[in-house]
Amino acid sequence: MKEIDARGLACPAPVLHTRATLQQERAEAVRVLVDNAASQENVRRYLESEGFETRLERAGEDYVVVGRCGKAAPPAAQPEPAPAKPAPAAEPSRKILVLCGADRLGRGDDELGRRLMANFVKTLKEMGPDLWRLVFVNNGVKLTIDASEVLEDLKGYEAAGLKILVCGTCLNHFGLLERKRVGETTNMLDIVTAMQLADKVISV
Amino acid sequence: MRFPTDENVIVGLERADDAGVYRVSEELALIQTVDFFTPVVDDPYAFGQIAAANALSDVYAMGGVPKTAMNLVAFPVREMDLAVLRAILQGGIDKLREAEVVLIGGHSVEDKELKYGLSVTGFVHPRRVLTKKNLRPGDRLVLTKPLGTGIVNTAIKAGLAAPGLVERVTRTMAELNRRAAEQLGRFRVHACTDVTGFGLLGHLAEMVAGSGASVRLAARAVPVFPEALDFARMGLIPAGAHRNREFREAMVEFGEGVPRDMQDVLFDPQTSGGLLISLPAEEVEPLCGRIRDQGGTAQEIGEVTADPGERIRVA
Repeated sequence: MKEIDARGLACPAPVLHTRATLQQERAEAVRVLVDNAASQENVRRYLESEGFETRLERAGEDYVVVGRCGKAAPPAAQPEPAPAKPAPAAEPSRKILVLCGADRLGRGDDELGRRLMANFVKTLKEMGPDLWRLVFVNNGVKLTIDASEVLEDLKGYEAAGLKILVCGTCLNHFGLLERKRVGETTNMLDIVTAMQLADKVISV
Repeated sequence: MRFPTDENVIVGLERADDAGVYRVSEELALIQTVDFFTPVVDDPYAFGQIAAANALSDVYAMGGVPKTAMNLVAFPVREMDLAVLRAILQGGIDKLREAEVVLIGGHSVEDKELKYGLSVTGFVHPRRVLTKKNLRPGDRLVLTKPLGTGIVNTAIKAGLAAPGLVERVTRTMAELNRRAAEQLGRFRVHACTDVTGFGLLGHLAEMVAGSGASVRLAARAVPVFPEALDFARMGLIPAGAHRNREFREAMVEFGEGVPRDMQDVLFDPQTSGGLLISLPAEEVEPLCGRIRDQGGTAQEIGEVTADPGERIRVA
């Protein structure tokens, strides 16, 4: 078992210390020593996010987290150039933002456009983990309300970890604030920032 | 401890509200507040802005208009370049200018650790003072800035926050609560505070304690920095968040659907956080609409219920 002594370190150092050690040597089991309950909880959270099973102990004045690599665990942090963003379970290779400005796809026949948009939303999952943000503005916000025929699909995406942003000004404009059922109500600053962070923006 | 007082003290130390309020005449009361802290970001100019926005916020939270300010500076003159201090002060002054507040003095001392903040004085009508202590059953709660700045700041210290995120969080912390505050006078606001060191649930608990009412919070409706949830999941949680939880846990019930990382964000200590406003349900949309029209954030996050148990239920 790998021992890590992180006593005397203030947050977030114990987590970083543990992280660095795991990145250098892929330990299957670790015992992390800290000197306060907050650090103990933080280290436990970190180890669990890396797929470890954890146990908390006391050792005199000190606090201990024992972690063992779980069965279905992702590999304990491959070496990577620091600093990097925290890695969710499946790190997308690139970040695609899809901006839906209408509840229909294309121009011409509205009924056709409505069906196409529903199909489009249902098929988006084929992008896999690359699909990073789904943003609804203007008429597009109607896809996120109680009467939307793709509501269940969107809820499924959200449950799977996709961040869905819904324009608050637009919901308000249509009087639909209370009827939104999926996604996070947001403002233009968040939308613009998400666009800036995305590797690719697809606008429909 | 007993504090000296007189009949013109509208809000004093006993009330532990956001600021003190003292009646000058039938028409005018002074709001006074002071706040300073060690740097929360690396950029000295941004730190100055954030410190000023934070100090001004207490006046806004009391329903007032800030008028004058004084600087408080502790600076390691021997070890640090004076250009750093100049940048901090410039950030503060620029924020005051934006708020139309004048700087009329200040005081500085030599200190090993850099600190900056301001004492701010504002005006309010004595009968229009907003405090934490007036929740009414049926009210809705509105929050005007996203949560998670404490956790993100911890991730910044850890070198794990992307530059875009640093910039977004810095901008939010430096944002004045003025846009939201200026709208409050048009509505029947019953209670208001600003979300800072105790986190959303800590400040909400202060509002609920003694109110004879309870609160239902919709975790999914609470605006947050999405990255804060990721960082919380990996244990990048400031010690203050753990303390806030410990202190108020007994009042709070989390539904099964509220993930642990969201709970952490709800307890996360905020620097220069948003206003938390309690007002009648029918006024929520007009208020939020007006704030959003000004480019601000405003989100309904919960409601006040008649349950006299003074509980906070998060679902």
